[in-house]
Amino acid sequence: MLAIDVERLQKSFRVQKNREGLGGALKDLLRREYTEVEAVKRISFQIPQGEICGYIGENGAGKSTTIKMLTGILVPTSGKVVVGGYVPFKEREKFVKNIGVVFGQRSQLWWDIGVIESFHLLRKVYRVPENDFRKRLDELVERLQLGELLNRPVRKLSLGQRMRCELVASLLHNPSILFLDEPTIGLDILVKTEIRDFLMGLNKEHGTTILLTTHDLQDIEALCSRVIMLDDGSIIYDGSLETLKSNWSKGREIQFQFAHPVKKAQMESWTEGLDIQWRPENDLTAKLWLPHSVNVSEALSRIVGATEIRDIKILETNTDEIVREIYQSEKVSS
Amino acid sequence: MNNAYLDIIRIRFLTMLAYRVNYYSGIVIYAINIGAYYFLWQAIYGDQPTLGGFTVAQMTTYVAVSWMSRAFYFNNLDREIANEIRDGSVAIQFIRPYSYLLVKMMQGLGEGLFRLLLFMVPGMVFVCLIFPVTLPTSLETWMIYLIMLVFSFLINTQINMLAGLFAFYVENNEGMMRMKRVMVDLFSGVIIPVSFFPGWLEGIMKWLPFQAITYLPSSVFTGRTEGGMALQVLGLQALWFAVLLLPILWIWRKARHRLFVQGG
Amino acid sequence: MIYLQLFWEYFKNYAKTRLTYRADFWIEVLSDLLFQGMNLIFILVVFQHTESLGGWSQAEVVFVYGYFMIPYGLFSTFFSLWNFSERYIVKGEMDRVLTRPAHNLAQIVLENMDPPSLIGSLVGVIIMVISGAQLGLSFGFTDVLMMMLLVIGSVLVYAGIYIAITAIGFYSDSPTGIAPLMYNIQNYGRYPVGIYNKVIRFILTWIIPFAFVGVYPASFFLNADSGHNSSLALLTPVVGLVFATAALLFWNHGVKRYRGAGS
Repeated sequence: MLAIDVERLQKSFRVQKNREGLGGALKDLLRREYTEVEAVKRISFQIPQGEICGYIGENGAGKSTTIKMLTGILVPTSGKVVVGGYVPFKEREKFVKNIGVVFGQRSQLWWDIGVIESFHLLRKVYRVPENDFRKRLDELVERLQLGELLNRPVRKLSLGQRMRCELVASLLHNPSILFLDEPTIGLDILVKTEIRDFLMGLNKEHGTTILLTTHDLQDIEALCSRVIMLDDGSIIYDGSLETLKSNWSKGREIQFQFAHPVKKAQMESWTEGLDIQWRPENDLTAKLWLPHSVNVSEALSRIVGATEIRDIKILETNTDEIVREIYQSEKVSS
Repeated sequence: MNNAYLDIIRIRFLTMLAYRVNYYSGIVIYAINIGAYYFLWQAIYGDQPTLGGFTVAQMTTYVAVSWMSRAFYFNNLDREIANEIRDGSVAIQFIRPYSYLLVKMMQGLGEGLFRLLLFMVPGMVFVCLIFPVTLPTSLETWMIYLIMLVFSFLINTQINMLAGLFAFYVENNEGMMRMKRVMVDLFSGVIIPVSFFPGWLEGIMKWLPFQAITYLPSSVFTGRTEGGMALQVLGLQALWFAVLLLPILWIWRKARHRLFVQGG
Repeated sequence: MIYLQLFWEYFKNYAKTRLTYRADFWIEVLSDLLFQGMNLIFILVVFQHTESLGGWSQAEVVFVYGYFMIPYGLFSTFFSLWNFSERYIVKGEMDRVLTRPAHNLAQIVLENMDPPSLIGSLVGVIIMVISGAQLGLSFGFTDVLMMMLLVIGSVLVYAGIYIAITAIGFYSDSPTGIAPLMYNIQNYGRYPVGIYNKVIRFILTWIIPFAFVGVYPASFFLNADSGHNSSLALLTPVVGLVFATAALLFWNHGVKRYRGAGS
C-alpha cells in the first residue's frame, strides 16, 4: 500500500511586491501589487509504506511547502495528494491522528514545565487510551534514554535532549507516517547518530514510514533507501542513493605513493591510450583521475607493472560533492 | 548626529507604512476615542460652565490634542526591550558599534513620526471638522507646543525604558509594564486632566514626571497656560528629561557590568 | 466532552507553569485589577465634580461598571489572544496547531487561557452588590438566572468581536494587531449610551456592540422608576449568538485562507 501518493501537486503563492522608498511605500498603502510565485511545480511521487525517504533541496526549493501540504497545513493549488489513505487538507482532524510531525526548529513542548506534562496533554489531544500510552511511552523512553529527563522543564534541556523529547511527543499516538523537518539541525555527532539509530529501529520494528527533509546528507546516507531531490519547485532526482552516486559521480580518484621519484611524462607513458589524467602532487605522490568508462583493473595493472608502489588510496567522491555538482549543473542548464 | 540613527528612524517609519490595516484602523479608532470622550465630557459638564478650571470649549480641545499627542509619544519600547533582555539578544547589542538605548529611542521616534504625520495631522483635521475644537492662533504657542511634544516623547520613552530595563532584575516584568501603562495613562492626564484629581492626589502629581507628558503641554495648547508660565512648563519638562536620564544610565551600566562578569 | 477534558488538562499545565513564577502571579493579578480600576477611578473622580452623568447617578454608573467586569473577566480568561498574529502566524506556531486533531481555535484558546482574570469577575460581583445595595435593588432567584443568561450573552458578544479582530491576522500581514487599539473603545459601552450622539450610539449598539457588554444588560436590573431600563437588554443573548457565530465563520474562513496562502 502507498503511504504517500502525490500526483501533479502544485502550489503557488501570491507575494506582495514592496515598492521601494517612501513614495513606493505610500503607493503601497493605497494599492498593492502582487506577483504569483510557483513554489511547487506539479510534482509526482509515491512512497510505499515502510520506506524511509529523504527529501532534499536547497533553501527555497519547495521542501517545506511540500511537507506542509502533505501534513494538511496547506491546501494545494492543484493536483492530487493522498497520505495514509486521507486527503490531508479535507479531513484534517481525522487525518492528523495518523501522522507525527517534528519541526526541528520549533518546539511542540511546554516551555516551563516538565516534559512529561506535555506528553500527558498530547495523550488527551490525540485521545490515546491510558494503557497504550503507558506502554508506548515506556518503550520510547527506554529507547531514547530519557528516564530522568522526563520531569525537567523544557527550558532546562539541551538541544539534543529536547530533540529526543520532540520525537517522543510526535510518536506517542503511534502514527504510521512520520514527517521530520530538519530533525538533526544543530545537533552534535553523538546525538545525531543516536537519533538516526532510533529512527532506523522505529522503521524496522513498527514499519513506520518516514519522510525527512535535511541539509545533512549523512542523515540520508545513514537512513534513506531513497532520495527525492528538489530544485526550484521541481523534482530533479528520485531514486536510490546508490544510483544517484553512480550516475552523477563521473569517475573516481586514486592516490599513489611511489617508492622512487617519478616525472609526470613518465606517468603518462604508463597509461598511454587510456582516458586518464595525472596530477602529481610532489615527486613521490600523484593523483590519478579516471572516469567510469575506464577499466580500473587495467589501469592499475599497468601502473603496478611499471613502478614500485608504497601505498594506494581510492578516493570516492562524497555525496555532498555530488549534490553540489547536480545543483550547479541544474543552474547552468536552466 | 550619526547617520545610522537617522536610517533607523527611516526604516521604522517605512515598516509602519507597510501595515496598512493598522494604519486605517488606527485613524478610525483614534477618531472614535476622541468622539466618545467628547460626548462623555459633554455629559459630565451638563450645564456647568467650568469644571476643574476647564471650560467646556477648553475641555474639547484638551481631549482632542491629548489623544493626538498620545499617538505621537506612545510606543511599546518597554515590551521590546524586556523581550530582548529575556531572550538574551540584548547581549549582542553590547558588542555592536552603536548605543542600544539610542537605537531603541530612534525606533520609537520613527514610529512616533509616522503617527504624527499620518495619524495626527489627518486625524486633527478630521476632528476639527466634527467637533468644536479651537486651535491656538499664535504661532508662538504652536512652536512651543511642538517643542513640548518632543519632550513628551522623550519623557514617556524614558519611562518605558526604565520599565523595560527592569527585566534585568526580575524574570517576568509583564505585570510591572502593565502597571506602568495604567499609571502613564491615568496620571499623565489623557483620561482625566490632573486638575480634576482631589487636592491630595494633585499635590502628589506635582512631584511625578507623568503630568509633563500630556497634562502640562496640552494645557499650554488649550491656552490655559500662557507666556512665561508656558516657558516654565518647558523648563520642567527639560528637568524631568535630565533627571530620568540618571537611573537609566545607572541601570544600563550595571547591567552591562553584570553581563560581562556573569556572561549573561 | 472531549474539549472539557482538554480544558482540564490544559488548566493543569497552566497551573504548573504559573507555580514556577509565583511572585509574578500576584503582581499580574494586581496590575490587571488596577488596569480595570483605572476606569473606576475615572468615574469616581468625575463624580467629585458632578451629580449625574446624563441623568445617571454615581451608584448607577458604578453598578453598570460592576456588571461589565463580570463578562470581561470571563472573556479574558479564555480569549486573551493579544499576541496571536505574532506568535501563531509570524512565528509559525499555527502550523503545529494544524497538525493536531482538535479544532484549531479551541487549541489556541486553551493554550492561552488566563484563569486569574476571573478574579476581576469576582470584584465585579462585589462592586455590583455594594452599588446595588446603595440603590436599594433586590435580587430574586429569577434575577440571578437572568444575570447568568445576560452574562453569557455578553461574553459571546465580547468573544465574537475579539475573535473577529484576531482573525484579521489571517488576512493582513500586520504583526501588531488592532486589538490593543480596540481596548479603549470597549470602555464606552460601560457608560450610559444616551450621552453619545447617534453615530457613536449606533456603532456601540450594532457595529462593535460593546453596549451589550455593559450598559444594556446591566440596566435590566436597575429600578423601574430610574427610567434607565433598556428594552435592548433582552437582546443581549441574541446579539451574542449572532456575533459569535459570524466571528467563528470569519475565523474559519481565515484559516482556510491561511492554508491556501501559507506564510
